[in-house]
Amino acid sequence: MAAGDQGLVFNIQRYSVHDGPGIRTIIFLQGCPLHCPWCSNPESQGAVKPLTWVKNGQTETISKWWTAAEVMAEIEKDEVFYRNSGGGVTLSGGECLMQADFSANILKATQALGISTAIETTGALPLTAIQKVLPYTDYVLFDLKIMDLQRSKQIIGDNTAWVKASFEAALAADNTTVIPRIPLIPGFTTTQDNLQQIADYVTSLDIQEVHILPFHQYGSQKYDYLKRSYTLKDTPLLTAAEVSHIHDFFEAREIKAVVSGLE
Amino acid sequence: MASTLSKTIPSFQSVRPHSRLQEMKQHLFAQKRQISLERAKLYTESYQQTVGEPTIMRRAKATVHILDNVQISIRPGELLVGNRTIRPRSGILSPEMDPYWIMKEIDTIAQRPQDEFEFTAADKTYYREKLLPYWTNQSMKDFINAKIPTDVKQAEDDLVIKLNQTDKGQGHIIMDFPVILNHGIQYLLDLIQEHINQQPTNDFYQSAELIFQGMQRHFERYAQLAETMMLDSATPAYRQIELQEIAAMCRRLKTKAPQSFYEALQLLWMTSIVGQYESNASSLSLGRMDQYLYPFYQMSQKAHVPEAFLREVLGDFYLKTNDVVLLRSAESAKCFAGFPTGYTVALGGLDKYGQYAVNDLSYKMLDLYQAIQLPQPNLSVRINTQIPQRFLMKTCETIRYGTGIPMLFNDEVCVPGFLSKGVSLDDARDYAVVGCVETTIPGKTYGLHDIALFNLLRIMELALYDLENDPTVTYTKLRQHILDKIDAYVKIVTTGSDVVDLGHRQFAPTPFLSVLIEDCLQKGQDVTAGGARYNFSGVQGIGEPNLADALYAIKQVVFENHELTFKELVTHLADNFAGATGEALRQHLIQDVDKYGNDNPELDLECAKFFRHYALELGKYRNIRGGEFNAGAYTVSAHIPLGEDVGATPDGRKAHEQLADGGLSPMVGRDKLGPTAVLKSVSKIDNTLAVNGSLLNLKFSPNTLKGPAGLRKFADFLMAFTQLKIRHVQFNVQSKETLLDAQKHPENYAGLVVRVAGYSAFFVDLNKRIQDDIIRRAEHTL
Repeated sequence: MAAGDQGLVFNIQRYSVHDGPGIRTIIFLQGCPLHCPWCSNPESQGAVKPLTWVKNGQTETISKWWTAAEVMAEIEKDEVFYRNSGGGVTLSGGECLMQADFSANILKATQALGISTAIETTGALPLTAIQKVLPYTDYVLFDLKIMDLQRSKQIIGDNTAWVKASFEAALAADNTTVIPRIPLIPGFTTTQDNLQQIADYVTSLDIQEVHILPFHQYGSQKYDYLKRSYTLKDTPLLTAAEVSHIHDFFEAREIKAVVSGLE
Repeated sequence: MASTLSKTIPSFQSVRPHSRLQEMKQHLFAQKRQISLERAKLYTESYQQTVGEPTIMRRAKATVHILDNVQISIRPGELLVGNRTIRPRSGILSPEMDPYWIMKEIDTIAQRPQDEFEFTAADKTYYREKLLPYWTNQSMKDFINAKIPTDVKQAEDDLVIKLNQTDKGQGHIIMDFPVILNHGIQYLLDLIQEHINQQPTNDFYQSAELIFQGMQRHFERYAQLAETMMLDSATPAYRQIELQEIAAMCRRLKTKAPQSFYEALQLLWMTSIVGQYESNASSLSLGRMDQYLYPFYQMSQKAHVPEAFLREVLGDFYLKTNDVVLLRSAESAKCFAGFPTGYTVALGGLDKYGQYAVNDLSYKMLDLYQAIQLPQPNLSVRINTQIPQRFLMKTCETIRYGTGIPMLFNDEVCVPGFLSKGVSLDDARDYAVVGCVETTIPGKTYGLHDIALFNLLRIMELALYDLENDPTVTYTKLRQHILDKIDAYVKIVTTGSDVVDLGHRQFAPTPFLSVLIEDCLQKGQDVTAGGARYNFSGVQGIGEPNLADALYAIKQVVFENHELTFKELVTHLADNFAGATGEALRQHLIQDVDKYGNDNPELDLECAKFFRHYALELGKYRNIRGGEFNAGAYTVSAHIPLGEDVGATPDGRKAHEQLADGGLSPMVGRDKLGPTAVLKSVSKIDNTLAVNGSLLNLKFSPNTLKGPAGLRKFADFLMAFTQLKIRHVQFNVQSKETLLDAQKHPENYAGLVVRVAGYSAFFVDLNKRIQDDIIRRAEHTL
């Protein structure tokens, strides 16, 4: 089989209304170079290989290999909903760029049907990865997390140089809309320094809108299944006032901040 | 500064110091429900005086006797008059239909778990000593019981079929309101008189004349009551002005056509009330109110009647539709829990030019519903690909309130469905909703839309046991055996339905109603005799999703994977999955075998094939009025009692557990992929074949619909629903937490209205099993 004919997928979620325009199907791809301690899909971290966990005493394999044609069949099931809502497909993960060839195949085939395409990415891979998918991607929901090189490397394993290169490539791409998204994780991404760096960075690129995603703990159960400890279990959720404060921080710098993500 | 406007405002329209709707709403529910014997007494009194006369004349005279003598009242604050009983929400017994069922419940009805009624000691005695002896062996029930052939009786005992409307009026009909509103009572009486001149011996015309004259006198009684109340010194001045207008209006309406929105609503309500006195039936539905009332609404707008007054009168009408409840037997109340009285209204839709029909009043009716939020009127919106975005968004916004109102009917399915049954294009485009989710052609159809229930899952169960010991059983053979049994029972259910149909013809002609159903006047025939233009009978096929799940499971575990033999599987079912092995098998069947509702084309197609077979087979039969039998696919709340009739099934359902709710909804808890996958599964079934009606429940979490973006995506979802050609959908938008809390603290949730099945009811009025069912229906949220 040629490169990108098969992909490792750990979930396909239909009727998603929070990840891009309209009603969407999200393809969650296995594998991620980062290890963000707040990750809500911890089962996707690490290399692109099948993973098992133990749920209610039963060992389950949580990802399986799909051909591009199989994924397309799944995507096409909800085409009537995309058509009416301007929705479509969002590749997520994990980090979908870990399977860039497969992702590009899916996005290309989807776009050929006139269906909207989106990816959720952290861009934390060499530039060639995102370059493979950008020609077929209508929306890039791009996570900006920790901008300081040292902190980023230490906490999430990120290479900010790669992130910036990918981000700027996405901005430069034709017919692609980039939506910077900032997960608000108390003590990690919400420090004054970090927010200032993000604001400076997006301003330098003449970006006028970011989405901010308040911290949630929906993934915490999965750490138990993986027999890993969830270090943020005692981290309190942000209050409305705190979220509003961060919102105002960006707006004061003439960057529109849209509060989004799960309610 | 002198206002030019004030001169044109008649005083009664602006005297009201403040809106009384909320006060009146509370008043409506202040007292416990009670049984009223008044109608039964008057009816019986009249019958004792008409021995020997033709039934239709006796019925008409009994109805007239009620109209002339029943106690009447004008409730505090009311602008519209016409109350079926002095005490709000009274249950009316009609022993002429069935005097017996109440005797089984006479001492328990005040405490029964669903829809209880007080029954006073004096009334119980009167019932036992006077009414029961008079009607024993004389009722419609006796006639039906005597006529029921043994095979029908057997099918009932087999728990495969249930015949409805054997103890009360048929209902499920929409009268020709436009004709009476546009022309008035006298016009109809003149028409009747012309026919009498032509055919002086036709009892139908004679009886119709009596009742319409009775209706005129009934209006006069209200006029006089209003005048009496006006003279009461305790009546405040503004109320005196209102009562004066009520008296004057009632006198005008005795003969004339309405000249304002107020008068039109008054005549509409009185027509509905007279229909109730005549037949004590469920679902004398209201049809396309926004269409036929709009000319009157415009009239009042042109006359500068204050908007606040129009809203107050319409609000009064909304409240009145909650004043009439239907007394049912305990068994019937399980199937139709929480008073689906059936004041169903269809808003929007198509006009005769094929354009989307929506007007100011359509919007106003939804707006007012948002403010009142009661179970009735049961509003629905007709959707099609031409629906204006503005009206679609207003519909979505109303649904978001969470009461389940309005429900949606898809013109892209309903119109072709009627065309396939020989209905004209103009009439098909004019369809409306009766009862809960049944569709009909208003003013032209006697459709017996709720004549029988047909338990498809029970048939499958019987088939399994038939073949239990057959060593040559294959999937094909099993499948064929089920189809053969469906055919045999279809024949039987049509026979049984015809007996009930005949019972109503012999015992319960409805000449008043018939005058308002097209072709009856021309033919000189009552609807029960076949006078209507369209003459359907509707039989609901129930348990379809469970049947599909069960067959798919058998195919997988027995015939394809050979995990166990057919005999072994049936033995586990007979044991209700007893023991550890049984339970393990049950979990395997639930967890590992795919289910309807998850967009599995193979499984869904099998479901579609069975429904198609059932619908086409049923469509081969003609009823005694020459009309076709039409298939329905809805349960109302009967999925609970009909589930009690079926043992354990191969879909992992334990004995007596409920069936899939609604009719076309997936089995509760078995759909895992969200609402888009559910719609895809439902769309595989050719909904056009469910001409009598179908029902799909979806539950959304309030979060999903939050904000303008949530609402917009919901609207898009509905357009996808429309294109998928699904006939009906309705929504519950309450969080699980809210409902659980309401179960714990009913006192805090007296006004919480939820969707049950084709209708809405007060959550606290439902028994625990139905409450649990509503809570369990998958909540779609992401």
